[in-house]
Amino acid sequence: MGLQTNGLSLEVVGREITGRPVPGKPRRPAGPYLLGLPALLLSCLLLVPIGVTVVAAFRTPGGFGFGNFAVMGDPGALRAVGNSLLWVLVAFGIVVVGFLLALLSYRLPAVTTYLQPALVIPFAVSVLVSGATFRLLFDPTPERGTVTAVWTRLFGTSPVWLGPGLFWLVLVSAFGWTWLGYVVSLFRAGLDAIPDDVTRTITAEGVRGWRRLRALEIPLLRPITGVVTLTVVIAAVRVFDLVLIVVPGSMQRSADVLGLNWWRATTTGDDTGRTAALGVVLFAIVAAVGLIGVRGLRRRRWAMPVTVVRPDPTLERPKPGRVVRRYGWLTGLAVALVWIFPAVVLVATAFHSPDVAGVRGWWSVSGLGFSSFAAAANVGLFRALLSTLIIAAAATAVLLVIAVPTAYLVAWGGLPTRLGRVVMAVFVVLAVTPVQMYAAPLRDAIDAAGLAGSRIALALVHAAAGLPFAVLLLRSAFASAPPALVSEALQGPVRQSAVLATVQRTYRPALIAVAVLEFALVWNDFIVGFLISGPGTTPLSLVLWGEARQFSASSGPVAAAAVVASVVPAVLMLSFWRTVVRGLTTGSRP
Amino acid sequence: MLSSRRAFLATTGTLLLAGCSSDVLGLRRAVRVAVSWSGQELRAFHKVLDGLGTLDYPVEVVPLGDDISTAFATRSTRRPDVVMLPQPGLVPRHLDDLEPIPDDLAPLGRARLWKDLLVHDGTTYGVPFKTAHKSAVWYRPSLFQQVGVQPPRLWSDWLTLNRTLTQAGVTPLSLAAGDGWVLTDFLENILLGIAPSVYEGLATATDPRPSQQPQFAAALRLLGTMWSAPDVLAGGVKESLVQQFPDALIEVFGHRRAAMVLASDFAEPVVRSFAADPNDIGLFTFPPMGPGAAAPVVVGGDVMVLQEPTTDDARDLVRRLSAPTAADPWIKEGGFLVDGRVTGYSPELTRLAEQLTKPGEQLHFDLSDRLGRLGDINGLWRVLTDFLIEVGGRGAAVVPGAVDDAVAEMRKVEEG
Repeated sequence: MGLQTNGLSLEVVGREITGRPVPGKPRRPAGPYLLGLPALLLSCLLLVPIGVTVVAAFRTPGGFGFGNFAVMGDPGALRAVGNSLLWVLVAFGIVVVGFLLALLSYRLPAVTTYLQPALVIPFAVSVLVSGATFRLLFDPTPERGTVTAVWTRLFGTSPVWLGPGLFWLVLVSAFGWTWLGYVVSLFRAGLDAIPDDVTRTITAEGVRGWRRLRALEIPLLRPITGVVTLTVVIAAVRVFDLVLIVVPGSMQRSADVLGLNWWRATTTGDDTGRTAALGVVLFAIVAAVGLIGVRGLRRRRWAMPVTVVRPDPTLERPKPGRVVRRYGWLTGLAVALVWIFPAVVLVATAFHSPDVAGVRGWWSVSGLGFSSFAAAANVGLFRALLSTLIIAAAATAVLLVIAVPTAYLVAWGGLPTRLGRVVMAVFVVLAVTPVQMYAAPLRDAIDAAGLAGSRIALALVHAAAGLPFAVLLLRSAFASAPPALVSEALQGPVRQSAVLATVQRTYRPALIAVAVLEFALVWNDFIVGFLISGPGTTPLSLVLWGEARQFSASSGPVAAAAVVASVVPAVLMLSFWRTVVRGLTTGSRP
Repeated sequence: MLSSRRAFLATTGTLLLAGCSSDVLGLRRAVRVAVSWSGQELRAFHKVLDGLGTLDYPVEVVPLGDDISTAFATRSTRRPDVVMLPQPGLVPRHLDDLEPIPDDLAPLGRARLWKDLLVHDGTTYGVPFKTAHKSAVWYRPSLFQQVGVQPPRLWSDWLTLNRTLTQAGVTPLSLAAGDGWVLTDFLENILLGIAPSVYEGLATATDPRPSQQPQFAAALRLLGTMWSAPDVLAGGVKESLVQQFPDALIEVFGHRRAAMVLASDFAEPVVRSFAADPNDIGLFTFPPMGPGAAAPVVVGGDVMVLQEPTTDDARDLVRRLSAPTAADPWIKEGGFLVDGRVTGYSPELTRLAEQLTKPGEQLHFDLSDRLGRLGDINGLWRVLTDFLIEVGGRGAAVVPGAVDDAVAEMRKVEEG
């Protein structure tokens, strides 16, 4: 359709203009590229050591080749690979269970009232804490272990839960406890964002049950499924400290995973090439999962709508009836109580004196008090907390300052398409790289620079490790701003303040999500500090780990240290959870 | 609202600035001490450090647990300056990584037993900090009285005692098989009891081959005889495997499900803090293996070594920790023996300390600590764990087969 007046030709198109209105290439200013410079420098902290590791893995005395990979023939290494793959299966299982739970909570709307906080707390605490909690729960003596006590009461005798084979149950429970809340929350956010008219149409057409799931929920949630699977699978492949704290020494061999196997190999002074080869194998598994996950992301056809205008409340889903609400409310309360129970056990144990906590369970009424906290403080807990706080705050600040301009550059900076794709691919690969790939060379470099043990160096490494994920997240948030607003902002000072306000409203959740997640991640970190700075620098986790050699005799101080260590991330996550979920899910175009 | 937020920010800022002392930022070079202790022992060591008074340098304690040998890992950075090494047998293997001990402290490392381990070519590389008596058995006297038995005077008495207890409905032993070193301690006592010369030969060999010594298999057979008796272990093998060292003590003295437990002198604080009845604590030493044989005494300990390159601060710390009174706070907590000292302990520990200083005793240093790779978590620990799983509570018939398997497994480790 065309229109001509006074020599001015107007064309009205029925869709958004996708091509260039004017033929030829626009001039690309070089200025925006400077925005990416800090990120490039910071990423080199990872890229260079990764390169060194890869070279070391392929370098053999007789030139380059696959000779070092003979280490994979070692039965110990094979078992570790097998166990790591088993963990990937566990991750998929958790995603499926999480999806079903989210669906349940969506169909029974009142469920979430109590469920949400109960699911968030485990996600906020470190894996080490959740491992310690489940080891307390499954203690083999009926006097101390809750599960053993209940089982003995019901059936007369109880299996040894931490014994051969059964320790997997404890490991998987602890892992599931940590991650299920995250999975459910994200799926739930995705389900909530499905436009009501779509739901209504499907319902009107009489599509129900499994067919409805396949026609509606599963395809629409594909992007979120990608994000969720990616994070959980990577966490599963990286399992390290969980095994260290949960599995008794006599069985750690059968619970070995690749990350641990690598660590043992480096610490026993194994040949560098062989350990590097182990690292590369671990990396290959994670990268394969990562790339498949990203392919899943790219195929998404439907994006989460960004709420610029609040939807008309009258058009929302009809409120369910009172009976259904009450039913849902009760179910939610019950599930929440079960879910929060391990945390209750941990806190109750912490409030018993070390002498009582070592012999009796958390339900014992004698020996209540603060002496376990005093005992934990005695081994340097508070100095450790302060140090952790500084590392986490510094890493978060550095990360935000560097990630925001980089994400802007990638989203709107006008990078040539191919370069943009390469940059994104590099960030995806970096986001999933296990710390084993860069720990050894980086450690040596930091040492050579005389910065060994410096908290600042550690904070920088954390920032570098968090950068890829932050950029990916922020970029999708930036890119999701309505195109009309963007063009207005780019074209001139038209309603600049209005544009800014909207843009700010759109980005804030993503920024907060990045900051909160990075802070909690660094706060809860064990492995990065452990492998980069050597033992003793990420003291918070190490206070916990230091006690682990005499785990149940030290139950009281271990629980106290765990509680103190978990307060900050738990409060942080609980206060910002809604925003974090919005930030994680606002991404639209890949 | 605004003013309170400002006040909050100001307070946080001040706190952060105060906290950013070079110490917390890790810029100030602290003396890092790697230890294998945890729990009560770790807290006791912190008390020892506090008792040293004000130092010119910060001290950072790095608990490494059973992975203490990582302190020497070739590529490990930020190496601890001082390592409290629970395996003095590692000293000869790491001479290149170690700094000689200052001359004024060197004589301490030349004491009996320690000299062979710590002195090389006339240079002393370590100073003993803590001595462990690894041939002690803690038991509950009330149970022994109830059943009408006495602590055993011979190994054969011990087997009879176990049978008597089992028949009276009492589980004789609690075993911390979750910690491999508990199992090796058991075997070492037997081997030292039956063949001191073989024991010494293995300990000093440059390339030890335990699997080729018939006495090694004989010791395994004897051990198998005790472990394979039905109902001898509290909770059976499965529960033993998940028990760490203090758990086994709690089984005996806290939950009172077993009569005795083989545990070193350093079990004392655990025993005392978890005992349901503080007066029901007894101790006997590992009995001789046969009439006329000397009772085995396996000695362990933690030695202080300085990693190369060292600093004056680290030397100063070692000097202070070597002072005769330095360990007093730990001795007060219990479970700490100082080399050559026999006073100031509880009655039980005094007995152990006297046995350690009495001339003519069959004293030998812990074998697994001297076997290096063969004696650690992937060597003897693993072999004995598998051995326990194979024989535990299954009767004497399975022992010969299990011994063959264990010897074959050991051979594999030696060749590995």
